[in-house]
Amino acid sequence: MMGELLFLIPLLPLGGALVILFAGGRMPRRMLSGVAIASVAASAAMTLWLWPLAGDRTRATLFTWLDVGALQLPVEILFSPLAAAMTLMVTVVSALIHVYAASYLHHEPDIRRFFTLFNLFVFAMLVIVLADNLLLLFLGWEGVGFCSYALIGFWYRNPDFAAAGRKAFLVTRAADVLFGIALLWLFRLTGTLSIEAINLQAASLPPTTVTILALLLLAGACGKSAQLPFSSWLPDAMAGPTPVSALIHAATMVTAGVYLLCRMFPLISLSAIALAVIGLIGAATAFYGATCALVQRDIKKVLAYSTISQVGYMFLAVGAGTVTGAMFHLLTHAFFKALLFMVAGAVIHLAAGEQDLFRLGQLSKRSPTLFWLLLVGALALAGVPLTAGFFSKDAILAACFARQTLWWTSLGIAGLVTAFLTALYAIRLVYLLAADRESASGHGPAPRGLVWPLLPLGALALVGGLLNLPAVWGGHETLGRWLETPAGALPSHDLEWGLAAATLLLVAGAWLFIRNRYRVPPTVSPGGAGVSFLAAGWQLDSLIRVIITAPFEKIGCLLEKSVERRLSATWPAGLGRLCQVTGQSWRVLTSGYVSHYLAAMAWGMVLLLAMLVVLLVL
Amino acid sequence: MIVPLGHVLILAGLLFVAGLAGVLLRRNLIMILIGVEIMLNAVSLTLVGASAYWRHPDGQLFALLLMAVAAAEVTVALALVIYLKRSRGTLDVNRFDGMKG
Repeated sequence: MMGELLFLIPLLPLGGALVILFAGGRMPRRMLSGVAIASVAASAAMTLWLWPLAGDRTRATLFTWLDVGALQLPVEILFSPLAAAMTLMVTVVSALIHVYAASYLHHEPDIRRFFTLFNLFVFAMLVIVLADNLLLLFLGWEGVGFCSYALIGFWYRNPDFAAAGRKAFLVTRAADVLFGIALLWLFRLTGTLSIEAINLQAASLPPTTVTILALLLLAGACGKSAQLPFSSWLPDAMAGPTPVSALIHAATMVTAGVYLLCRMFPLISLSAIALAVIGLIGAATAFYGATCALVQRDIKKVLAYSTISQVGYMFLAVGAGTVTGAMFHLLTHAFFKALLFMVAGAVIHLAAGEQDLFRLGQLSKRSPTLFWLLLVGALALAGVPLTAGFFSKDAILAACFARQTLWWTSLGIAGLVTAFLTALYAIRLVYLLAADRESASGHGPAPRGLVWPLLPLGALALVGGLLNLPAVWGGHETLGRWLETPAGALPSHDLEWGLAAATLLLVAGAWLFIRNRYRVPPTVSPGGAGVSFLAAGWQLDSLIRVIITAPFEKIGCLLEKSVERRLSATWPAGLGRLCQVTGQSWRVLTSGYVSHYLAAMAWGMVLLLAMLVVLLVL
Repeated sequence: MIVPLGHVLILAGLLFVAGLAGVLLRRNLIMILIGVEIMLNAVSLTLVGASAYWRHPDGQLFALLLMAVAAAEVTVALALVIYLKRSRGTLDVNRFDGMKG
């Protein structure tokens, strides 16, 4: 009976969205945001209350959605430890960001649309997390995609913002097609869409098929998680309001791809090739994102590229076979990245909308609390020892090196280099924001609603490492034990100490480098060719334009000229004229004189009689 | 049967063609109606002839029925003729071309 209550976790935010949608117009603003916050907070409380059910991997079925022949599609929830951990993260972080958003959008006239979509997003995200069958998961998958699109383009009067929303929608949709193919193919092969059943049957599938399926799933995950080559939508997605960036494009939705791979891991792990490709994409994206983040001038774009890079680490973890590591980094990343985004939002708020890092500064004087929170977030991002990010990132790198093959060792080295770059841009962010210079000034001190939701996240970013403290540090790997997920190859203690030392050295080096470079507040400089190449995200957009968009447009123009115009204009017009001419020429037949009609009838009769006679004679 | 069936049929055919010619060629509506009546009577004649030939009463019954129907039809037709004469002032069918396309 308790199992059915699980459905309240996703349905509460849905209810909130519906209430706001239908009754929000008549509510005062405070009540409206109150409903939004309360519904998500209730969902978080529900998750905590039902937490014990996760240990038994409780299932609950609400109703059967489709029942056609072999296709059995129950709306079924699986509250496994993996799902429970993710649910708790999503609901708690969402609740905090909802509180933040209520103050952040203080002057926004249309908060009803905002909170409807925001609550709807939480619902769709929870559907992804809890669904036990792939089609239901796909429903949530598309749901978050839609909410993301609508919220990126929230200020749709600005054509650039609306275009950013469309871009995100189209790029992720392109990847979703591949995911959809995988889904249908899996159904054809196994006759079921239940994730657990598919994972059980996966071993009996032919290896090549499994590899292709895993790669298709990877493509879908790459689209949602902004991994190469589908990464270009995420930096543009920063057009949305900052709470949207924090919730959707940092903490929850972009990690859905990782979560999908974790859920399907028993299938994916059957193919060594697929794992190697996942690791490669993860490491490459991590490196790519970090290099781009180094030179960004927009504070939100730094964080966007940083998100791409950090999600790359999670992919690397899945590839290296440590689902635990991926989930651990997913959780810690959600904490510190949401924190950083919300600090950025507050900084932008203080500076009256200024987002250029070279025009911001003096944060430590103007709002010490925010500065400390920024420092905590940046240190966790940089992986400074003993912060949450340090443990989760090291676990991933350790898993790579522990495989002891050339492939994984080189990916691990790429990960280490990325860790150094990460430290560089994280510390650069702090230095630039704290720089002693005139900065744009706006409203007075940050409102309390913008600050206090950050405090729990700051605490989690600092001590979140305790969740899965490795044995070397005297922990018990609590998270891994509880999730019961594969942890990959076990690293030796020497390796772990070595990695910790390397990380410490890298961070220290990065700090020295940045301190030296930004001791004097830098002036606005255009930068060389290399800088602009990195700032434009390795010209990925231009590349996509040349490879995909431009040929597509050309083919479209060609088809428009050669086929579509004929089909839709020339041919129908000709057909119409033909009818007109025929009608005009046959008009004479209808003279209007009764005698003509009768004569025609008589001649017809004569003809019939003649035919009869001919037939009789023959 | 005194008169051979063939003769009856030839007479009926001639009558029918005569009626049809009247319908097609005459321009006065009343004359057209008379043509129609002649065609109907040609059919009646065929029925009666066939009835005599096969010694079966059905044909004669049909002929009686036909007379009754023809009487009714003529009533309605004449009423229309009077209506047309009053409204259009003429019975020349070539003046009625309301169905012209």
